[in-house]
Amino acid sequence: MPDTLTRLNEVFQQVFDDEDLEITPETSAKDVDGWDSLMHVTLIVNAEKAFGVKFTSSEVAALKNVGDLVHLIDSRKHAG
Amino acid sequence: MSTATELFKRTSTLRKEGRLDEALAMLREAMARGGLSPEEVDRAGRFIRKARGEGAGGEAGLRVHLLGQFTTSWLVPAVTAVGWGQGITSDVEEGGYDLVLQDLTRLSASSEPPGVVVLFPWNNRLLNGSAPAGDRVADERAFWKQAWEIAGRMGARVLQVGYDWMAPGAEGYALATETGGTIDLIRSVNAAIRQDRPPGSYFLDLELVSGMMGREAFYDPRRYYWTKQPFSERGVVRLAEHVVAGIRALTTGPKKVLVLDLDNTLWGGVVGETGPLGVALGDSPDGEAYRAFQKHARALSKRGIVLALASKNNEADGREPFEKNPDMVLSLDDIAAAEICWEPKGTTIRRIAQTLNLGLDSFVFVDDNPAEREQVRQAIPEVAVVDVPVEPAEYVRALQAGLWFETTGLTDADRERAAQYAVERQRRELQETAGSMEDYLRSLEMLADVREIDEADLMRVVQLLGKTNQFNLTTRRHTRDDVVRMLDRPRSIGVTLRVEDRFGDHGLVGVLLAVPSDDDPQVLRVDTWLMSCRVIGRTVEEFTCADLIERAERMGYRRILGEFLPTKKNALVAELYDRMGFRQLDSGDGSSVLYELELAGASRPVHYLSPKGAVAEPVG
Repeated sequence: MPDTLTRLNEVFQQVFDDEDLEITPETSAKDVDGWDSLMHVTLIVNAEKAFGVKFTSSEVAALKNVGDLVHLIDSRKHAG
Repeated sequence: MSTATELFKRTSTLRKEGRLDEALAMLREAMARGGLSPEEVDRAGRFIRKARGEGAGGEAGLRVHLLGQFTTSWLVPAVTAVGWGQGITSDVEEGGYDLVLQDLTRLSASSEPPGVVVLFPWNNRLLNGSAPAGDRVADERAFWKQAWEIAGRMGARVLQVGYDWMAPGAEGYALATETGGTIDLIRSVNAAIRQDRPPGSYFLDLELVSGMMGREAFYDPRRYYWTKQPFSERGVVRLAEHVVAGIRALTTGPKKVLVLDLDNTLWGGVVGETGPLGVALGDSPDGEAYRAFQKHARALSKRGIVLALASKNNEADGREPFEKNPDMVLSLDDIAAAEICWEPKGTTIRRIAQTLNLGLDSFVFVDDNPAEREQVRQAIPEVAVVDVPVEPAEYVRALQAGLWFETTGLTDADRERAAQYAVERQRRELQETAGSMEDYLRSLEMLADVREIDEADLMRVVQLLGKTNQFNLTTRRHTRDDVVRMLDRPRSIGVTLRVEDRFGDHGLVGVLLAVPSDDDPQVLRVDTWLMSCRVIGRTVEEFTCADLIERAERMGYRRILGEFLPTKKNALVAELYDRMGFRQLDSGDGSSVLYELELAGASRPVHYLSPKGAVAEPVG
C-alpha cells in the first residue's frame, strides 16, 4: 500500500490535471500554479474521498502545507 | 485501475500530443454514457474549458453566464461537462459572488453579451434580513425584476433558479410551512418570481431538485461556510443537469421524439413466443410497471412528444398486442412511425428520422437490451440513449432523470402535435397511391391562413425562432422584445402562416419577418423566414414567397432583399431563394449570401395552397 504522500500526490495530479506535478511535505499553495482558495476546497474534498475520511472546518482552516494534510490524514486513519 | 483513470490518462496524453479534438470527443462520449463521479465531472469540465479556450472543440458555442447570490465556481465546469456530453456546446462564464446586478450591468454594456443568463438566488437575505417578512419578499421580487430587465435589454434569455431551504430551522417541521414560517417565505418568493418572470424564460424550481435528490445529499453546509457554495459535489452535478435542461429548453427546445422498443420495454416477455395476450401487462407486479411506463409515454405524447417504435420482431407479431391486448395503454394511433423488422436499430431509427423529417439529435431511445442501446450509441451518437435498469418499475424514473423534455411552456401546437403526426401516416399512404406529385398535392386540398403576428401568437413565434434549425434562412434567435420592435417599425411585415389540409390542421408552421432596408426605403429586407419541417415538400414555401411578393407590392416596395446565413443545420434551404426566382448578389463577406428580387414583372412561384376562406381552386 503506497504511503499517504504518494497517494496524495496522485490526488494533486488529478485535481490540477498535471501528471508531472510532484509534491513534498513543504509544498504549499504558492508553489502550485492554480492552487487558489477555490481549488483548495476541490483538493480537500477530493482528498477526503480518496482516503475515505472527512475533515472538520477548523482542521481545514489550520492546514498550512502538504505535510499538515498528510499528518491530518494519517491521524484520522490511525484513529479510525 | 478504473476506466475513468484510464480516460484521463489518455486525455492528458492526447493534450501533450496536441490532439485536443480527440480528447474532447472522448470526454463527450464518456459524459454521454454517464457513470463518472462528481469529481471526475468537475475534472472533465475543467479540461473541456481549457481545451476550448485554446481553440479546440469546434466553433464558438452558446455563451452562458452564471450569476449567483452564492459562489458559482463549481457549477461552471459541471455545466460545461454535462452540456458537452449532451451535444450542447456552451462556453460558460460566471460573475462574482453575489454581484448579480453589477455583473449584469457590466455584461449589458459589453459588445458580446451572453445568449443565456442563469440567475441563482440564495436565501440568506430572505431568511436572515431584519425587515418584516412581507418586505423581504417584496425586496427579493424587486431585485429579480431589475435583473430580468437588464437581461432583456441585452437580449439574453433568462434561466431563473428558485429559492430553497436547507432545513426547516428552529420552527421545526410543523411550523415552518405556516404563514410567515421559513419554508412558507421560500415558497411565497418562488410563487411570486414564477409569476413575474419574463415570458419565454425557464424557471428552475430548486425546491423540487433538492427534494428529488434529498436535501441531506444535495447540500453540504460545510461548503457554504468555506466558500459560500452550499451544494455537495453530487448536488453540483445534479443542479448542472437541470441547468443544462433549462438551456436546452431555452435554445433548441426539448427533445421531440421518443423511440421505444417493444419486448420487455412496453410489455414483459417476448410477444413472438407468448402471443399478444401472453405478455406481462396489467394485473401482475411487473405488468403494472409496464402499464405505468406506457401511461407515461402516452402522457408525453399528449404534450407533444412524438412516439415511434423500433423493435426487432416480425411486423405482425409486434403489432398484435396493440390490436388485441385489452391491457395496452398505447394504441397504434399514438404512434407516428413504426419500424418493426430485423434490421439493426441504428438503421431503423435513421429511417424513422427521415419519415418524420425530424433531426436525430432530437431523438431519445429507450430499450431494455444493453446490446441494442450500444449499437444505437455507436451508429448514431447524436441520439440520446436511456440506460434503463433491469427493473421495469424504474423505467419512468430513468427516462425522467434525463430531463429530455423540459420546456419553457406548452402551446396549442405542442398539444396537437401527436395527433398531427398520426394523420401524417395516412397522408403518406395517400402519397403512395396517388399518381403524380401534382395529383397528390392537389388532393391534399391545402388551405393557408396568413395572419399578422398578434399578442396571442407572439410566444409561439419566439419559440419557433428559438428552436427552428433546418428550414431557417437566417437562424436569428430574436427575443420577444426584438420581434415587438421589428413589428413596431413602419412598413414592416411580420406574419405567421397556418396550414390545414383534408387530413387535419398543421397549426402554425411558418414565420416571416421583413423590414424596410436601412440603406434604401424601396427595398424590403427579409430578416427571418422559417418553416416547420413537417410541411416541407408541399409547396408551402412557394406559397409564402408568393404572398410576400404581393404584400411587398401593395406596400410600394420595388425590390425584396433575401439573405441566407449558413449554419450546420440549414443546408436544406441553401438554394431556396434561387428556387424562388431571386438573383444572387455578390456577397461582401463569406458568412452570408444575399439575394434580390426585382418586383416589377416578378413571377409568382407555383403552389397548391388556397387562402383560407377563399373559394378559389388551388392555383397550379
